[in-house]
Amino acid sequence: MTPGWRIARRELRGGLSGFWIFLLCLTLGVGAIAAVGSVRAALESGLARQGSVLLGGDAALRLTYRLATDAERDWMADHARQVSEVVDFRSMAVVGEDRALTQVKGIDDAWPLRGQARFEPPLTVAEVLAGRDGLPGAAMDPLLIDRLGLRIGDRFRLGVQDFVLTAALTREPDALSGSFGLGPRTLVATRALADSGLLSPGTLFESSYRLTLRPGDSLDGLRAEATQYFDAGMRWRDSRRGAPGVETFVERLGSFLVLVGLAGLAVGGVGVSAAVRSYLDAKTPVIATLKTLGAEGRTIFAIYFLQIGALTLLGVLAGLALGGLAPLAAAPWLQSRLPIPAEFTLHIAPLAEAGAYGILTALIFTLLPLARVERVRAAALFRGIGADARTWPRKRHLAALAAAVLALIGTAASLASLPWLALSVAGGVVAALAALWLAAQGLRALARRLARQPALRGRPVLRLAVAAVGNPREGVAAVVLSLGLGLSVLATVGQIDANMRRAIAAELPDQAPSFFFIDIQPDQLAGVLDRLDGDPGVGAVDTAPSLRGIVTAINDIPARDWGDHWVLRGDRGVSHAAAPPPGTELTAGEWWPEDYAGPPLISFGADEAAEIGLSLGDRVTVNILGRDITGTVANLRRLDFRSGGIGFVMIFDSAALAGAPQTHIATVHTDPASEAAILRDIGAAFPNVTAIRVRDVADRVAEAMGALASATSLAALAVLATGFVVLIGAAAAGERARVFEVAVLKTLGATRATVLASFALRSALMGAAAGLVAVLVAALSAWAILTQVMELDYRFAPGSALAVIAGGVLATLAAGLVFALRPLSARPARVLRAQE
Amino acid sequence: MGPVLSLRDVHLTLQGNAGPVAILRGISLDVHRGETLGLVGPSGSGKSSLLMLMGGLERATGGTVQALGHDMTALDEDALARFRRGRMGVVFQSFHLIPTMTALENVATPLELAGQSDAFDRAADELRAVGLGARMDHYPAQMSGGEQQRVALARAAAPRPAILLADEPTGNLDGTTGEAIMDSLFGLRDRHGATLVLVTHASDLALRCDRVMRLRDGRIEGEDRQQQAAQ
Repeated sequence: MTPGWRIARRELRGGLSGFWIFLLCLTLGVGAIAAVGSVRAALESGLARQGSVLLGGDAALRLTYRLATDAERDWMADHARQVSEVVDFRSMAVVGEDRALTQVKGIDDAWPLRGQARFEPPLTVAEVLAGRDGLPGAAMDPLLIDRLGLRIGDRFRLGVQDFVLTAALTREPDALSGSFGLGPRTLVATRALADSGLLSPGTLFESSYRLTLRPGDSLDGLRAEATQYFDAGMRWRDSRRGAPGVETFVERLGSFLVLVGLAGLAVGGVGVSAAVRSYLDAKTPVIATLKTLGAEGRTIFAIYFLQIGALTLLGVLAGLALGGLAPLAAAPWLQSRLPIPAEFTLHIAPLAEAGAYGILTALIFTLLPLARVERVRAAALFRGIGADARTWPRKRHLAALAAAVLALIGTAASLASLPWLALSVAGGVVAALAALWLAAQGLRALARRLARQPALRGRPVLRLAVAAVGNPREGVAAVVLSLGLGLSVLATVGQIDANMRRAIAAELPDQAPSFFFIDIQPDQLAGVLDRLDGDPGVGAVDTAPSLRGIVTAINDIPARDWGDHWVLRGDRGVSHAAAPPPGTELTAGEWWPEDYAGPPLISFGADEAAEIGLSLGDRVTVNILGRDITGTVANLRRLDFRSGGIGFVMIFDSAALAGAPQTHIATVHTDPASEAAILRDIGAAFPNVTAIRVRDVADRVAEAMGALASATSLAALAVLATGFVVLIGAAAAGERARVFEVAVLKTLGATRATVLASFALRSALMGAAAGLVAVLVAALSAWAILTQVMELDYRFAPGSALAVIAGGVLATLAAGLVFALRPLSARPARVLRAQE
Repeated sequence: MGPVLSLRDVHLTLQGNAGPVAILRGISLDVHRGETLGLVGPSGSGKSSLLMLMGGLERATGGTVQALGHDMTALDEDALARFRRGRMGVVFQSFHLIPTMTALENVATPLELAGQSDAFDRAADELRAVGLGARMDHYPAQMSGGEQQRVALARAAAPRPAILLADEPTGNLDGTTGEAIMDSLFGLRDRHGATLVLVTHASDLALRCDRVMRLRDGRIEGEDRQQQAAQ
């Protein structure tokens, strides 16, 4: 055992009393990351294990716009043990005059092939679908039952088909496998929809054929055969990724929250650094004594590195215990609230990740204070001096620091689902820390200058407060850094949330239509327009033919080789037009003549084309209803999805798609008073037409974003809690100096009220500075995220900013005043005698 | 045989808040093997600084300091630390024991740093020699000031240094305890035959030295041999 290690062990006998902030910061930071990672791992493991249940079978073949042909059905029957057909589409559930948007799922007798559906009352699927009194049965999401005021046994209509509500659908095992639904679920038998008029050619629906494997078959083998047999419009999904959308969401949200947790760990790092500095300052006589006794700088470094290392391990282990066990303890509560299956157990990978972050963060934030111990001179014993803080650290320490920073960022980037996000967050945290450090130095320099101003003479409360802020021993940097970083994260979430809510709630209705009508059959279009034209409450009405298609190739190269752009991912809306739709803004190329009848031409969204790498003259192949149509990009158009209007990425020339079965889509601007009558009249005259209120969609999106903002705010609050711990640590560290300060001030005639007012003022000044910088950092971050990533406008949200500044002031006031109580109550004589 | 300590035209100027402060101004002196030298003078005369220069704990801003034939001014902080191991023992007025270590561990530390395998046995012998055989496992906070200083003496003497430097070792102690400490200090010196340089305010303590050097304002004001000092 080396002398360094032996001496380090002896030094540790001093106990943990000076290290509770150090340990708490590490424990909280590591615990938060470990907890987020553990929950993510539980969800991912649940999703992986329940893949076939979520999918509704071992594999699913999905077709857009059509059901499988008889030949295709035969093929599936030959190649699978079981087959179940599910159709999925939007429609209106109608009860008398009342109507509500619903996502209809049509099933067969085999559904569900995997997992179990649950109903209230507890019926079997067959009993639910059997119905009563000659009417087919249906189950509905309880939300929809409430919305329509239905009771079990009541009737409702889908299209022109009446159904009887036989049960509430309380659990749909394959609910997550579908796409984002705008309405709550209605479950019916597909055969009962035959006369509903809802599955006519051209109607927007999706069919999904769930298969279970025959013994001995493999998913890869079946996939290869299916891809060969079906046309390019078929999309394959299997139980290895039963709910890819949800999986990606969980992975990305988890990654993002881990990154927010890393910001929290950085806040904790400030506290860790301050604690180590303060500990080593107190150890200056011991270090100088060891030097006197012949210890070299390296030995001294090793002594304290080993001590801090041991404490780091303790803090990290405590954090891992907290973060690993807390989700287990909360498992029953979490499981009952999550729509996703989860496997709560001890997941080693996220704990290892959190542990690595904890150790690297501790190394980053303690290396420089530790490096300073080598610079403590033996002369400190009789001159009362410590290490010279201005000396530049040794090269090996700087190299170790750089390596640790790179390792931390590299680990975060390699483990995050989006490395650019990890790098951006890391860059943001480093920039925020730099800005906060500069602000702290600036504030201290300003306070030092201000304290000497003649204007402050005769105002002892103010002068003492300002002078204290300017004092290097007051810990301004620790307060501004830790609280400021915590507040920055919270303020950024606040700014983004406020802007997105504004974009949805305030700006959308100004430009967006009130309704979308979808599934208007070609022969119904004139009737719909007649009803709208005659209404004085109706403003602009736009219509367009609507088809669904999948981009299968570009310039004869398979679409999947062009990257993972959303336009290429699934089926997309496709339209056709002879003349440019109103408001069209071409950015390149020219629109085709109205009577054009040559080879197919396409007008493509300009931004989307640029992102995919398309340019004028490229050939895009789109599979529509099983038929490949290849068109040449003739022009590029600017698309603004924020307007909420009709916005097809691909518009063909009319001749190209004239023969394809299609429906029409219409957007309608109305005044609120006319809405109900229009819905009623169109619903009655054209029962198959579905009306979607844009306001309802916006509310659904706002709801989903609200949940995201809540999750992020919760993580930000954890960051802030760590910041508060650091703040308390700084206040506690200054308590001893304040006891002496108060004693002297009292001796000089200061009342307790004067001293208290001065203490409150200095706390408020530091808190306000932290809050102000946090708001600046947040405004910059929010601007970057909103304008560069989300392509939204940014407007400063003063309400959220004010709340953050007020929070900063209150937090520092609370911490400062709590630790002012003992100094204020101490008797001056005792304190001063003890100092002698 | 040459001097154990040799200082030539040594200057020490420190940077204070109000500008440079000259602490030592051209000190030249030699200390020979086995000699005891007392440094006396009023507060601020520079005697403690001179002692620290001799121990390599402070760096001269001018002149040369040689100890045991080595030029201390040419060594860096780590080289000075290595040099002190086993060659120099230092005793401070404020003891400077390491609070987290027992008396035995405090005394063993310099021996451990010097790589001595029997560090603890020798430390125990040294503690017994200063009368603290029964207090080996006590922490500094559990001992009186006199006992702490005896531990500090044992720690300084344990590596059998050629040079013992003591900076007002009785300054924080009452008269009787101070007397006992000085007995221990001179006893150790006699036992190991070390050269002793002692800074003190007390003229009666200085009288126990072979030679006494009087300092004032950073300069040597005068020097007395034992017989002269006694008169």
